[in-house]
Amino acid sequence: MTRLFDRVRPAVINGLRELQANKVRSLLSMSGIILGVASLVAMVTVVQGMVGNFRQFVDAMGGIEKITVLREQLPKEQEHLAELSEGLTMRDVERLRRTVPLVRNISPEARVGYEKIVYEDRETNTYVTGVTADYLPVAKRWVEPEEGRFVSDLDVHNMADVIVLGSAVVPELFAPNVDPVGQVVKVRGRRFTVVGILNNIEGTGMQIRSANSRSSGGAWRYRNSGAFIPVSTALTKYNGNDRLSGLGLRIADPEQLRDAVDQTERTMLAAHKGLRDFSISTNEQTLEDFRKTEAAFKLSLGGVAGISLFVGGIGIMNVMLASINERIREIGVRKAVGARGSDLFLQFLAEAAVVSVVGGLIGLLVSVGIVTLMNFILTQALPTGAVATLDWVIMGEGLAFSVVIGLVAGVYPALRAAKLDPIEALRHE
Amino acid sequence: MPPLIAIRGLRKTYRMGDENVHALDGVDLDFQKGEFVAILGPSGSGKSTLMHILGFMDTPSEGSIVFDGEEVARLDPDRRAWYRSHRVGFVFQAFNLLPRLTVVENVALPLLYRDNSDPAANLAAARTALERVGMSHRLDHRPTQLSGGERQRVAVARAIVGTPSIIFADEPTGNLDVKNVDRVLDLLGSLIKEGITVVLVTHDLSVAERAHRVISMRAGLVQEDRVR
Repeated sequence: MTRLFDRVRPAVINGLRELQANKVRSLLSMSGIILGVASLVAMVTVVQGMVGNFRQFVDAMGGIEKITVLREQLPKEQEHLAELSEGLTMRDVERLRRTVPLVRNISPEARVGYEKIVYEDRETNTYVTGVTADYLPVAKRWVEPEEGRFVSDLDVHNMADVIVLGSAVVPELFAPNVDPVGQVVKVRGRRFTVVGILNNIEGTGMQIRSANSRSSGGAWRYRNSGAFIPVSTALTKYNGNDRLSGLGLRIADPEQLRDAVDQTERTMLAAHKGLRDFSISTNEQTLEDFRKTEAAFKLSLGGVAGISLFVGGIGIMNVMLASINERIREIGVRKAVGARGSDLFLQFLAEAAVVSVVGGLIGLLVSVGIVTLMNFILTQALPTGAVATLDWVIMGEGLAFSVVIGLVAGVYPALRAAKLDPIEALRHE
Repeated sequence: MPPLIAIRGLRKTYRMGDENVHALDGVDLDFQKGEFVAILGPSGSGKSTLMHILGFMDTPSEGSIVFDGEEVARLDPDRRAWYRSHRVGFVFQAFNLLPRLTVVENVALPLLYRDNSDPAANLAAARTALERVGMSHRLDHRPTQLSGGERQRVAVARAIVGTPSIIFADEPTGNLDVKNVDRVLDLLGSLIKEGITVVLVTHDLSVAERAHRVISMRAGLVQEDRVR
């Protein structure tokens, strides 16, 4: 092993000197590797950023274990039965709770509307929704302990006038030095006590554009807005009927999603006397779409990177062959003074490896530039711009790729150098 | 004392198209340790082929070579490389120094291909060899910065750095001016004092006359073997 190292070291040093002596030619021969490594690393990084982003997005929609039941118009063939339709009610919640054991939490939601919320001389508009305590586990949200509490079962039972605000609403209504919890706000003239603030969602891959940490851009801003009151309060004091706008169901085990959907549908149809005045949807399709997009990206960009690495390998092989042609005499001299075929094989293989490693390193630098540029463009163009972060593992893999390509590309030229006849080589002009 | 090299019935046959060309057609020769020999002959006489075979760059088609007591006529390429790096030195007409390397690195080159070679020790040996040929003042120059005579002295240093038993000088003065011809030939002749056998390969009688023994070759045969 040490003997091999003793032979490789001078070969590598020699390779670096050759590189230094032929800067332009080496750079040209590296260009394929540079582009290949740069696009490979940038591609994997950006796709990973997107993947992470999308996972968070799906998670923020309740994840794969969420089933959404929405009130719908009756289909055409059932339109004449419209007066029999009760819509979604709290009775559905009870039935589902009893007959669908796969469902762990059921969150009834009653939309009040896009309402004006007033605090002293400040006001803001946001969606007000009636919910129960089950909203939190279904939506995968929470209230930080220092930010108060959420709507409780007792609030629902008492039809309490309490309100929980989304984190994006808070800075619109309150000065920074005011603790919102305990303050009284008005919704359509009715006074509500603020009991808590919902957790702020900040995707790690998301760009926060506002200086204020409580308001973030785009889809996350929507997620962070809104105000929540007890569902009983919403139904009796605002809507004047018992119709819910939707149900959010959270199942215990994502593996049982299909069964849970089937059971929910059967229970709902039976309870609604066969009327299809509801729809059932899951995040499965969204996730599936996103997986397809991810695969397509990986395939197409990976193909581009693969082709440029392949071309890079051919470039290196080409330059190595040209370099050997130029240095036939040198090969002859080295053999005459005692070099074995394997010494020359090692020498030229090391040269190819040095070229590709240096090319790979430059490629990594370029990839840092590309990722930075893409981050900049994405955050400018899209409010929810995906921000990709460079990963050492990916960069290491990119570099390893270039080493392998260089070695593979160097084998044939190095074999040719090793096999040259010293007498012929010395005669070469 | 047994000869350094004893060759018997040495033949080398090449195929050129349909014909067999006998570059060496049965050569018997002995080379003593510390001998200054010239092999004289026109091109095509077989002198270069003989040098390549004795220098372990080529193998004979037939015959035997005993080098330092060992039969070496049919060695594998790696073993021949070992002999080239340990027992043989070459000096060429065209100097054949590597332009990318400095003078001292060029001289150290043969030692690079030995097992357990130590870069520092190699450079030290190279400096000693350069001192021997009077080129100590140009250690870190590039070959292109030297005159022809200087380059050939560096090449001689490269040939002796590995303390070989025999040095082959192939038309070593072909590219030199008169003044440097003498200097290089004197230098080569002086190496026999260190027990090195020096073989001058040339077509030039005046160069061959500097050696103590002149072997004339023609058509693959030794025509004359004359000790002066």
